[in-house]
Amino acid sequence: MALNIVVCLKQIPNPDLQFQIAPDGKDIRRDALNYKINGADEYALEEAVRLKEKYGGRVVALSLGPKRVDQVLREALAKGADEAVRIAHEDSGTYDVGTVARLLAATVRTLPHDLVLTGVQSDDQGSSATGGLIAGLVGLPHASVVTRVDVKDRILEVATELEGGLQRVYAIPLPALLTIQFGANTPRYAPLPAIMRAARQPIREIAPASVSLPYAFGVRGLSPPIAKGHAEIVTGSVEDQAKKFAQLLREKGFVRR
Amino acid sequence: MSGDILIVAEHLEGRLAPSTFEVVSLGRALAAASGGVVRVALFGQGVRALAEALAKLGVEVLLVEDVALAEYTGDGYVLAVRGLLESAKPRLLLAAHTAQGYDLAPGLAGALDLPLVTNAVGVRLDGSRLVVTRRLLNEKVQAEIEIASDRMIVGTVRPGSVKAASPAPGGIVVPTKVSIDASRVRMRFARIERPTVQDIDLAAADVIVSAGRGIQKKENLPLIEEFAKAVGGVVGASRPLTDMDWLPKTRQVGQSGKTVHPKLYVACGISGAMQHVAGMKDAGLIVAINTDPSAPIFEVAHVGFVADVLKLLPATLKELTG
Ligand SMILES: Cc1cc2nc3c(=O)[nH]c(=O)nc-3n(C[C@H](O)[C@H](O)[C@H](O)COP(=O)(O)OP(=O)(O)OC[C@H]3O[C@@H](n4cnc5c(N)ncnc54)[C@H](O)[C@@H]3O)c2cc1C
Repeated sequence: MALNIVVCLKQIPNPDLQFQIAPDGKDIRRDALNYKINGADEYALEEAVRLKEKYGGRVVALSLGPKRVDQVLREALAKGADEAVRIAHEDSGTYDVGTVARLLAATVRTLPHDLVLTGVQSDDQGSSATGGLIAGLVGLPHASVVTRVDVKDRILEVATELEGGLQRVYAIPLPALLTIQFGANTPRYAPLPAIMRAARQPIREIAPASVSLPYAFGVRGLSPPIAKGHAEIVTGSVEDQAKKFAQLLREKGFVRR
Repeated sequence: MSGDILIVAEHLEGRLAPSTFEVVSLGRALAAASGGVVRVALFGQGVRALAEALAKLGVEVLLVEDVALAEYTGDGYVLAVRGLLESAKPRLLLAAHTAQGYDLAPGLAGALDLPLVTNAVGVRLDGSRLVVTRRLLNEKVQAEIEIASDRMIVGTVRPGSVKAASPAPGGIVVPTKVSIDASRVRMRFARIERPTVQDIDLAAADVIVSAGRGIQKKENLPLIEEFAKAVGGVVGASRPLTDMDWLPKTRQVGQSGKTVHPKLYVACGISGAMQHVAGMKDAGLIVAINTDPSAPIFEVAHVGFVADVLKLLPATLKELTG
């Protein structure tokens, strides 16, 4: 039962950085960013490769964005993807998940797919919507926040995570789409020879499909978050901070001495 | 198009999700502003009592009961919404941004080719446009976006961003017949699984010292334990640490872990992602230690130390014992 798997991967600005708003107020400043693979997508990629190793088949890594995105696709090739496809898309912001999902869906339709995987969310836009939208657009059944996947006779058994640690288990016939949760597996490191091989592998660049949107979307403006509460920030040397911390703990009665 | 708002309620094992009450409150406010009516769709089987509980919020509850809706499935709920849309033309459909909400909303928007915006922390109407506030880049940037469409817009609202609706008069339950072709529900619900590990009950602790990825290495956990002991507390964690098995799953604080209300919560090297904050924001005193002054944890903390936790904790221990 070989599986044709398409895994959608996103490159995002490293969210550990501090961000500045661009002069026009419609995007972040992109001149001094570094980019990485979206956290949840690492688990989606690992799940795709594991399923291929278990059941046979092929993994196609699919991404959308400018040339710099190739880095993520090479990482995927080094970790076991068989083919990499990048939809050329110069808009680095892409604040509208509907546009992104429609572009990805148009390509998914052209690729053999028993199973389509995405991460549960992206850490830059945080929509948790790309996977579900693709499923709806392509006409696949889907499940979100998946922590476990088994396949038997072309039926998936998947555990999906709910609030508070409960899991809801479903049986879903292939073809289907799953959004993979953090911690679903342990992503592997790519061995050096594989990294070197991946550096020479071709990445298929395709032009974006023309999609029609049933709406008009616009970014009105970006701003630093309007803080709801404000922490009293303690500055100074570590020694000073430690004195203040100890004093606070004593004052509030959490330590006796 | 009408200014009507349709809300999809969420429930599990005979209980309504608290987030549904928040979405109702937002829906009521938006409907009042647009001169429309807010309706809450409740899908299930044998859930009349839940419909009545919702009606106490002063809203019209469309109760759709069908065996195919006994348990949540994306397919079943999309078919049920589709059925309701045959006789109603709401301007906006809202659900909570929960695991179920962000399963349903994008699936629905994709299947029916509708505009979608998710994880909103603020929603308002500006003439014919829907204006939505969202958080980006691990909460560090806020964005205001707008959508205009002659179709129904689908949206999800982040739990905790609106106050829950309080009771109001005038509510009514309207049993509504929607024919659902069960053969079009492709997935089958199998069961609910519960965590089984035995451990301390984090929710009962008065003091919690939680470690996040900022502690760098598993080898630094004893430092957190030592500090927790010094302040009479127990050790909790953000999700990445329990995912990596540095600590058992029972120690995870947050949306998919424990919700805690200790007197003191010390967040050590935790960025403050919404899923973590959901589980600890109501602690009495929140102290955050983080090297990044723009970390969103400082938004919920009462006292913040911009510091290396691996240096500040040993220095504070020395102060306390020395
Ligand atoms: C459906 C879903 C459910 C989830 N449920 C939960 C949940 O229940 N609980 C949960 O916690 N997460 C949950 N998450 C994950 C969540 O989105 C975040 O990824 C996670 O909370 C981040 O953990 P962290 O803050 O430890 O790590 P990071 O976000 O990586 O933050 C590490 C922080 O440490 C700081 N730091 C680094 N070095 C130091 C140092 N030496 N001293 C001090 N600070 C330092 C950094 O500045 C950074 O702010 C969930 C995600 C999803 C999608």
